[in-house]
Amino acid sequence: MISTGFYTFVTRELKRFLSLYNQTLVPGLLTTVLYIVVFGKSLGSRIGDIKGHSYMEFIIPGLAMMNAITNAYSNSASSLFQAKIMQFLDDILITPLSGLEISLGYIIGGAARGFINGILVLVMGLLLTDISLSHPFLIVVELLVVSWAFGAVGLLVGIFAKTFDNIQLLVNFFLTPLVFLGGIFYSIDMLPPLWRNISLFNPLYYMINGLRYAVLDIADTSPVVSFLVSVAAAVIFTLAGAILFSRGYRIKE
Amino acid sequence: MTPAVEIKGLYKRYAGGVEALKGIDLVVGQGEFFGLLGPNGAGKTTTIGVTTGLVRITEGSVRVMGYDVVSQFRQARQLIGLAAQELNFDWFFSLWDLMILQAGYYGVPAKIARKNAERLLEEFGLSAKRDVKVRALSGGMKRRFQIARSLVHEPQLVIMDEPTAGVDVELRHMLWDYLRRLNKEGRTIILTTHYIEEAELLCERVAIIDNGRIIADGSPAQLMAGIKRDGLSITVEGWSDQAAAGLDGYDYTFKDGRLQIKVVQPERRLADIVTRIAGTGAVVHDVTIDHASLEDVFIELTGRRMDD
Ligand SMILES: Nc1ncnc2c1ncn2[C@@H]1O[C@H](COP(=O)(O)OP(=O)(O)OP(=O)(O)O)[C@@H](O)[C@H]1O
Ligand SMILES: [Mg+2]
Repeated sequence: MISTGFYTFVTRELKRFLSLYNQTLVPGLLTTVLYIVVFGKSLGSRIGDIKGHSYMEFIIPGLAMMNAITNAYSNSASSLFQAKIMQFLDDILITPLSGLEISLGYIIGGAARGFINGILVLVMGLLLTDISLSHPFLIVVELLVVSWAFGAVGLLVGIFAKTFDNIQLLVNFFLTPLVFLGGIFYSIDMLPPLWRNISLFNPLYYMINGLRYAVLDIADTSPVVSFLVSVAAAVIFTLAGAILFSRGYRIKE
Repeated sequence: MTPAVEIKGLYKRYAGGVEALKGIDLVVGQGEFFGLLGPNGAGKTTTIGVTTGLVRITEGSVRVMGYDVVSQFRQARQLIGLAAQELNFDWFFSLWDLMILQAGYYGVPAKIARKNAERLLEEFGLSAKRDVKVRALSGGMKRRFQIARSLVHEPQLVIMDEPTAGVDVELRHMLWDYLRRLNKEGRTIILTTHYIEEAELLCERVAIIDNGRIIADGSPAQLMAGIKRDGLSITVEGWSDQAAAGLDGYDYTFKDGRLQIKVVQPERRLADIVTRIAGTGAVVHDVTIDHASLEDVFIELTGRRMDD
C-alpha cells in the first residue's frame, strides 16, 4: 500500500536532509577522516594488528556504524521535533495519512540518512586504507537494519522530547557511550573478563561486530546473533514508535 | 442528503483539565456557508481540531459527509481543506514545493497538482513568490498562502479558522469574494470568526458558541428576529391620544417627542405606521430603522458583549 500520500511524505523526509547536506552528510565524513588520520595513522602504528588487520582498518566498520547510528537517530528525532515545535506537524496530521504511515516516513528518512552516512565512511575507508569489502550484500543489509532501528529510536525520542536538549541528551549520555563501549576502537577480547561480560549486554556491540564481520570477515561474536539483535532492535523500536505516534501521545491534544 | 458535518454530543477536556467543549450538537448541510461565531476561548478552534483530526475526542462523535472522523479518518480528511488559525509552515521548502507536497499528501496526481498550484498561487497573488520560503512572506501573504494551500486538493468542505484575523481591508474583501465564489461552486464552507459583521454578511447560517456550548443556531435573520430588537424610532410633532389609539396592536412607547416601536421587519411596517400617525394630523419628522445585530443576540443570550 504505497499510496501517493505516503510516497510524498517519504520524499519530503529525504529532500529535507539532502538539501541540508552540509549539516547531515559532510560532518560525519570529516570526523571519519579525522579518526582515520589521528587514531589510525598516528596511534595505530603503536597498537599493531588486530585479528590480522591493521588498527586503521579495524576501526573503519565501527566508525561506519557509529556514523550510521547517530545520523539515523538525529534525522528522525530532529525532523519530528522541529515539526512539533514549529507546529507544522499539523499540516501532516490533518492529511489522510495514518499514524503508521507518518511514523514509517520519519523512520525511512532516518534510515536513509544513516545508511548513506555509513556507506560514505566505508567509501572513505576504501580510499584511505587497504580494506576490501568481504560480504557486500551483508554490509548493505546490516547498515540498513541498524539505521532503520535508530531511525525508529529517533522517532520515539522525537515523540517524547519537550526541548531540543532532550534529543542531544540521549546522544551524549546514551548513544555515544554505548557506541564507544560497543568496541569500535578495540576487540572486547582485549578487555578484562568483567568488562567483556558487561559489553555483551550492549546491543551496539553486536551491531558493530555484525558490520565488522561483513566488511573485514572477522568478529568477536557470531554474525548471526549480531544480525538478529539488529533486527530485534528495529522491530521493537518501530512498533513502540508507531504505536505511540498513532495514539497521538504528545502529538495530538 | 448526508450533512457535510454532523457533530453529536461532543465533549472535550484537554490534558490540563480545561473543558473546552461541553456537549456540542451541530449539523452543517452540504453547500452551506456556515459561520461559527464566538468570543476568544469559546471553543471554535477546538471544534475544528476535532473535525480535522488534530484534537482527540473525549466523548461524542463527528462525521464528515457521513464518514466518522476517527474510524474512517482517511475518507473524512480527504474531503476537508483546512486553513488553520495559526500561521505555521514547513520552513524547509518554497511555496511551490509546499503546494506540491500538500497535493501529494492528499493523493492528487502530479499533473493536476501542478495545475492547481499554479492557478491558486496566481489567484492569491503569490506567483512571484513561488520560489521563496514562507518565512520571507509578510503576514498577509502568509495568510493568503495558508488559504491557497488548503484548496490545492479541491476539498468539498473548506474550513477557515479566522481567515480574516489581522488582515487589511482590501485582503478581507478579496477573501470574502473568494469564499463566496467557492460556495457558489458548491463547496461547503465553515468559517470561524469573532467579527460579527463578517458572519452577518457572509453566512447563511451561524452557530454562536460560548464557553464550550452552542447557545444559538440559525440564519442571522432568524437569530436577530428572535430577540425582538428590531424597530422604528420616529420623531413626532403633535402627538395626541388619537395618534396613540391609531397604533393599537403595536408595541410602542412615546417619550420626549420620540416614538419607539418594536417591530419585526421594520421596513415593511414603515409605510403603515407613518400613514396611521399622519392620519391624526401629527407630523412625522425623522425616522430611523433599528436593526438587531448578532452582537445583540450574543448580549441577549449571555449578558456580555462578545469582545469583553
Ligand atoms: N492545547 C490546549 N491545551 C489546553 N487547553 C486548551 C488547548 N487549546 C485550547 N485550550 C483551551 O480550550 C478553550 C477553547 O479554546 P479554543 O482555541 O477552541 O477557542 P477559540 O474559540 O478558537 O478562541 P479564539 O477566538 O481565541 O481562537 C480555551 O479555554 C483554551 O484555553
Ligand atoms: Mg481559535
